Amino acid sequence: MAGASSSSGVKAALSLIAKRFASSLLTLFLVSLVVFTIAQLLPGDAAQEALGQSATAEQVQALRHEMGLDRPAHERYASWLSGMVSGDPGQSLVANLPVSEVISSRLPNSLLLAALSALVAVPVALAIGIGSAMNRGGKLDRALNISTLSMVAVPEFLVATLAVLIFSVKLRWLPSIALVADDMSWGDYLRGAAMPILCLSIVVIAQMARMTRAAVIDQMDRPYVEMAVLKGVAPVRMVLRHIMPNAVAPIVNAMALSLSYLLGGAIIVETIFNYPGLASLMVNAVTSRDMPLLQACAMIFCAAYLILMLIADVTAILANPRLRAQ
Amino acid sequence: MDDLPFSRRELLGGVGAGLLLPQAALAAPAKPRVGGRIRVASLSSSTADTLDPAKGALSTDYIRHYMLYSGLTQLDRNLVPRPALAERMESKDQKNWHVRLRRGVTFHDGATLTARDVAWSLLRHKDPAVGSKMATIAEQFAEVKATGPHDLIIRLTGPNADLPTILAQSHFLILRAGQKDFGTANGTGPFRCVQFRPGVRTLVRRNPDYWKPGKPYLEEIELIGIPDEVSRVNALLSGDVHLVIAVNPRSAKRVKASRRHALMESKSGLYTNLIMQQGAMPTGNPHFVAAMKYLVDRPLIKRALYRDYATIANDHPIPPFHPYYRSDLPQTSLDLDKARWHLQRAGLSGVRLPVYASPAADGSVDMASIMQEYGSRVGLNLAVNRVPGDGYWSTHWMKHPLTFGNTNPRPTADLIFSLFYKSDADWNESGWKNPRFDRLLLEARGEADQARRKQLYGEMQGLVHDRCGVAIPVFISLVDGFDRRLKGLYPMSTGGLMGYQFAEHVWWEG
Amino acid sequence: MTASSLRWAKALPLSAKIGLAFVLFWLTVAVVGPMLAPYPVGAFVAYDVFDGVSAQHWLGSDYLGRDVLSRLLSGARYTVGLAAAAALLASATGTALALTAAVGGPKVDEPLSRFMDTLISIPSKILSLVLVAAFGSSLPLLLLIAAVTYVPGNYRIARALAVNLAQMDYVQVARARGEGRIHLALREILPNMIHPLLADFGLRFVFIVLLLSGLSFLGLGVQPPDADLGSLVRENISGLGEGALAILMPAVAIATLTVGVNLLIDGLKGKRA
Repeated sequence: MAGASSSSGVKAALSLIAKRFASSLLTLFLVSLVVFTIAQLLPGDAAQEALGQSATAEQVQALRHEMGLDRPAHERYASWLSGMVSGDPGQSLVANLPVSEVISSRLPNSLLLAALSALVAVPVALAIGIGSAMNRGGKLDRALNISTLSMVAVPEFLVATLAVLIFSVKLRWLPSIALVADDMSWGDYLRGAAMPILCLSIVVIAQMARMTRAAVIDQMDRPYVEMAVLKGVAPVRMVLRHIMPNAVAPIVNAMALSLSYLLGGAIIVETIFNYPGLASLMVNAVTSRDMPLLQACAMIFCAAYLILMLIADVTAILANPRLRAQ
Repeated sequence: MDDLPFSRRELLGGVGAGLLLPQAALAAPAKPRVGGRIRVASLSSSTADTLDPAKGALSTDYIRHYMLYSGLTQLDRNLVPRPALAERMESKDQKNWHVRLRRGVTFHDGATLTARDVAWSLLRHKDPAVGSKMATIAEQFAEVKATGPHDLIIRLTGPNADLPTILAQSHFLILRAGQKDFGTANGTGPFRCVQFRPGVRTLVRRNPDYWKPGKPYLEEIELIGIPDEVSRVNALLSGDVHLVIAVNPRSAKRVKASRRHALMESKSGLYTNLIMQQGAMPTGNPHFVAAMKYLVDRPLIKRALYRDYATIANDHPIPPFHPYYRSDLPQTSLDLDKARWHLQRAGLSGVRLPVYASPAADGSVDMASIMQEYGSRVGLNLAVNRVPGDGYWSTHWMKHPLTFGNTNPRPTADLIFSLFYKSDADWNESGWKNPRFDRLLLEARGEADQARRKQLYGEMQGLVHDRCGVAIPVFISLVDGFDRRLKGLYPMSTGGLMGYQFAEHVWWEG
Repeated sequence: MTASSLRWAKALPLSAKIGLAFVLFWLTVAVVGPMLAPYPVGAFVAYDVFDGVSAQHWLGSDYLGRDVLSRLLSGARYTVGLAAAAALLASATGTALALTAAVGGPKVDEPLSRFMDTLISIPSKILSLVLVAAFGSSLPLLLLIAAVTYVPGNYRIARALAVNLAQMDYVQVARARGEGRIHLALREILPNMIHPLLADFGLRFVFIVLLLSGLSFLGLGVQPPDADLGSLVRENISGLGEGALAILMPAVAIATLTVGVNLLIDGLKGKRA
């Protein structure tokens, strides 16, 4: 059974990846269109924002021309799109640098923070979710339930500020701001990033754990599980061999959703810990009306999301025999 | 304010010798020591950060520019312009100025400063392509010409006795002629640029060849921006940064409770004001304006919003500690009966009016809430519209009948009046028009006699107080927090962190 | 009527009873709270800021010297109302679309899923920032932002469940029987995905409460002098160091409200099983 179905699963996964590639391009295009359109609704443009209130009309005119903002919107979008297709995200209007250069100074920070947070959050969430499902109704279940709920019930900025007050101001164990320099060691980086990682993990662990628990419990009520229990299958083996393959689709979906939050949703954590990541760069791009930079950030967030979703769907197909046949 | 009344003609040349004494040495008897590395947190940091002084838009930029560049003049703690790169700066008519430069000043790349660099640095503000924040001010430069390697002439379009003060602003700091690339800085300032990453940090190292002997003291400064105030104060208290700008008065208690830290209050001319458009109704009705001014509970704003880190204002922009402040104007204060009477005269009882406030104008949302509360007691229904800081200045400020503005301290009375109160000024916020005021302003600008100037500015304060459509409740003090091991700080009313110029004056004992 | 709901409540497990108590308490506060407030919500009534408990001010004063109890009572209405409405709207829309996708086949599923991907992949707080900057802050806009933000998430989860269920034998049997798509969606699929969806609703409710507080962190949100619970926490954050009631009470309010909703929902599920 295993051999035949895994090869059909791989085939199904490959065809899904191929199909997804095309639809992903469509999604990216849609996102760029939506972002461009709503950004046009914002008052002012990059030239006005850069020059500030003291600007004279000639200055605004000159800068608009230099930035190419005197062309009609559809023309600007078309030229951005054609640049993007050929792999060039254009020039940041405000920083006067290629967008790729601005992004490349922030993207690794964001990816690192998200990856480390995921590394902490995913195992913890799985353990909590499965553990409390297996102990359904028991003391452990209730304790875990209350603690995950309380974790998620406190505003992020309050958790972050509280953590800073305790760990940096009172105890002086960890730095209150995440300083990221080119020449810093891993130890220094981890010390600085510890609290941002902690805060981000807290936000996503609860959601993932609760969805895991719900999905596992949902399967536990099914006849096939009851049958297996009657046959005397051990609980751990039961969860791993019988329940998880069926529960995996909603679990990985929930996880992918939560993890995509770690990039774009990190804005509050980035603000409080002064972490130089992509989310604050994107807010920056909004306030300075730096369209090419804004678009590039939106593209990255969208691509990250699509990749996560693809991973989730592929995992679901490989794990679930029924979906494989689809 | 005893040392201001110099005649501008003799001022700069006359006191030039005094400059050899370091300012900080006068401030504290302790002997400054060289060395030490500090991290400084300013308000904000973004991709718009720049090394071009002409483009400086925020406190972080000003601080960065003062670290790297020097100006022709520099304000001392009493706002008197002192010679810097200019050894002398003289004018008989306040219109044609002769500048003699200090000799032997070198740029960070080793080149020697010449009059050509200065002329180029000043004239670039007139080029629209540069995008200078001082473009309108620079319009008065009719001609700037090098007459020798160390001499130049600045000819203005009209007399302006404040030119030495104007040139002390960070935007007019001097660059090497022809500088185009602002990826790094080449100035004559106390520090050299080591790393500049917009939106992340600026790292500078001591310039051993600085033209002020012995200065600066610090070996290295790292400048970062922490936009969130609570985070900024936490960073100070946890020892991650050693100096922070703009501590919210609400956090003052926490900083004071720490043995390792202290606060520095700078009384300043910063204010947040209610703007009543004179061109619109009902805000253009003088009775309405009077009623609103009587609705402002200034002591409450001072106490509740600013924890007493503020000075009560009297609806004109000159603060009480300013040398030109007029002390005999009656103080407007909360008077609900008078407000009700004026509202009735204006026929506005029971009217609902939207007022636009934003975090962009510091304290305006809370001020609006306070006015709404008192308004409800006299039959005026103010609806507070809190709008986001993003886009506030371009879409809301001055665009509705009732909005809030926020004006930074300016080094001279002339600048604040010319920019915000002159009839034809772009930022004449309320759109009031007063020909008498405009005439007085021009007269005062060219007047070299201090007593006469004070009289002229006094009358202008009276006009704004009585007739202008702005209500200015308080002047907001600037509060900085610092690590006690950092020495040599003193307040300047032009801005936080010693008017953004702390870098060359402070030293580290730790 | 009362007797039967009392019996229903009695049958709930203990944790759900606690949850029910919290939910009822906050619902009551949301409805009558503003009427009970001792002071107007925007009035400056205390001389000192961040006061402790006193006879005049049961929960002390806030950062401007306003009465915390009065602000809390009126803030609860915004939070409960906005979050409940937005969570219902988001869950109903998301699940309806997911069912449509599951029974409608790839022609419906594909475009819907791509559209949801588009919505979800733009970071919600940044999207809110843009929308509020463009249109100004208002209650309908906040409701819309919260709903739009959480529809795609609900859709993803509901669709994953529904597609999985649509492959189940009993659904295939019903399909073979010639049942219509609406019957398949509502009768065969929906009842079997209700547990995870309820859990998801509870979480969405929490997230919307938190999104609102997150928006207040970015300076968006309910117009002053009113404030939702999250804004109350945010505006008093500088009192955290001194442990001011002005920040603790709204935080406790948010926690009891959100935990209460979820405990109750968990209890409902337990009963059915």
